[in-house]
Amino acid sequence: MVTVYRVTKPVRVMGGFFAMALDGMVLTFTPPFAWREYLLQSWFVARVSMLPALMMTLPYSVILTFIFNILLTEIGAGDFSGTGAAIGTVNQIAPIVTVLVVSGAGSTAMCADLGARTIREELDAMRVLGINPVQRLVVPRVLAATTVALALESAVTVVGLAGAFFFTVYVQHVSAGAFVTGLTTLTGIADVLVSMVKATLFGYAAGLIACYKGISVGGGPAGVGNAVNETVVYTFMTLFAINVIVTAVGIQFTVS
Amino acid sequence: MTLTVPSRLHPRLQRTTNVLVREWNRIGSQMRFYATTLGSIPDAVINYRTELLRLIAAMGLGTAALAMIGGTVVIVGFLTMTTGALVAVQGYNQLASVGIEALTGFASAYFNVRLIVPGTASVALSATIGAGATAQMGAMRINEEIDALEVIGIRSVSYLASTRVVAGVIVVIPLYCIAIMMAFLASRAGTTAVYGQGSGVYDHYFNTFLSPRDIIWSFLQSVAITVVVMLVHTYYGYTAHGGPAGVGEAVGRAVRTSMVVAAVEIVLITLAVYGQSGNFHLAS
Repeated sequence: MVTVYRVTKPVRVMGGFFAMALDGMVLTFTPPFAWREYLLQSWFVARVSMLPALMMTLPYSVILTFIFNILLTEIGAGDFSGTGAAIGTVNQIAPIVTVLVVSGAGSTAMCADLGARTIREELDAMRVLGINPVQRLVVPRVLAATTVALALESAVTVVGLAGAFFFTVYVQHVSAGAFVTGLTTLTGIADVLVSMVKATLFGYAAGLIACYKGISVGGGPAGVGNAVNETVVYTFMTLFAINVIVTAVGIQFTVS
Repeated sequence: MTLTVPSRLHPRLQRTTNVLVREWNRIGSQMRFYATTLGSIPDAVINYRTELLRLIAAMGLGTAALAMIGGTVVIVGFLTMTTGALVAVQGYNQLASVGIEALTGFASAYFNVRLIVPGTASVALSATIGAGATAQMGAMRINEEIDALEVIGIRSVSYLASTRVVAGVIVVIPLYCIAIMMAFLASRAGTTAVYGQGSGVYDHYFNTFLSPRDIIWSFLQSVAITVVVMLVHTYYGYTAHGGPAGVGEAVGRAVRTSMVVAAVEIVLITLAVYGQSGNFHLAS
């Protein structure tokens, strides 16, 4: 009996996750919507993830342009460094940095907060009072993560391109006009849209995983720590998988 | 009875100075922790060998729920597999749009080694063994187990932090090999099996441009990143405070900090290793 329980545990965890996700989806459109919580959470996620996002974008976009430029200078196409920077930043660096920050900064903080509430039995108290914790706590958090991920992705793209511009023009001495002209050679509005779709999906998935791990915490301080650890791992795995799939689908529309 | 307290001189200035001084002291104590941790590595290797072996086993295979999905090995392998597949998807199509899709093998040998594998590995390590270390040590701090260690005469920094840094470095060696293999295999499978490029074309460009020296640098880069990631994570675990929520918060803050630090480190090492010339010879 105990072995059966243990073997079926992953299945039950998956089931619980999808049940919560469905509940969340239905309750999003069921009034009342917790506006106040939504705004507070959006501000909270934005606050914890803005600085890490900018601090991570600059190094990654600089290194990508650096590596691209080595190659382009070697084949005598230094003028096209803007093209490389645009492909790299818009299509990959911006969504991936958003993934890392949303799951590393936003969802860990969210899971720690919800986990602590679960440990203190606040969620049970809410249920006793007749308030649905999924509606009151989970839905606004998931939507906040989605909103902030979308907003963050745009900011990260702009900052990444600006960083690449300054690095290429002032450190590697490519002419500024050539860089700016090269930006739109292969990258267009479709790429930006695909990138934004990615960010939205990331935010939604990361929010759901964080909230599920948060409300199913057990076992004191070590439990909360482990839950946050698992949140990071699961969100990374999910989001990297989503990234490959959306890239593969999106590239059919963007590359002619 | 009412007490009157005279208002302080320049309150705003004092507050700003206090904040600055506190931040400065925090950075100082963080640096001291790192120096102590690195300095007590010999002590940890000589005196706490059993704990070191236990940690290596725990980190390689993962603990609790993470062991169920295959532990650190599977997680790192999976993440680098997805990023390797990304080279096939993005690289093949983007190169095809300018008519040189034959060079996808080159893109795999070049970008995987120099940027993608060190980047992904750093992120995966910080999420798995790093965050795990913070969670364990934070729980120990909250339960006052670290104080208990000190009381019974065990040097807590070398017993907990130094052993974890050493174990992380030892574990990353096989993990890096798995990571780079998965990235190469995923790029090759994606390009040849999914997009239908001839495997001879792919292999030709891949083998021509795969430079062993780059791989060694990329490996050393991953080891250096691991040291820094483990240091950051052990610091935040060691100084966790504020109950169960505090542990969770410490894990979050550690992941955030170590990802930023790892990104900066990758840039610095890449610029130092490949420099202005790029160490890249198309013709030779």
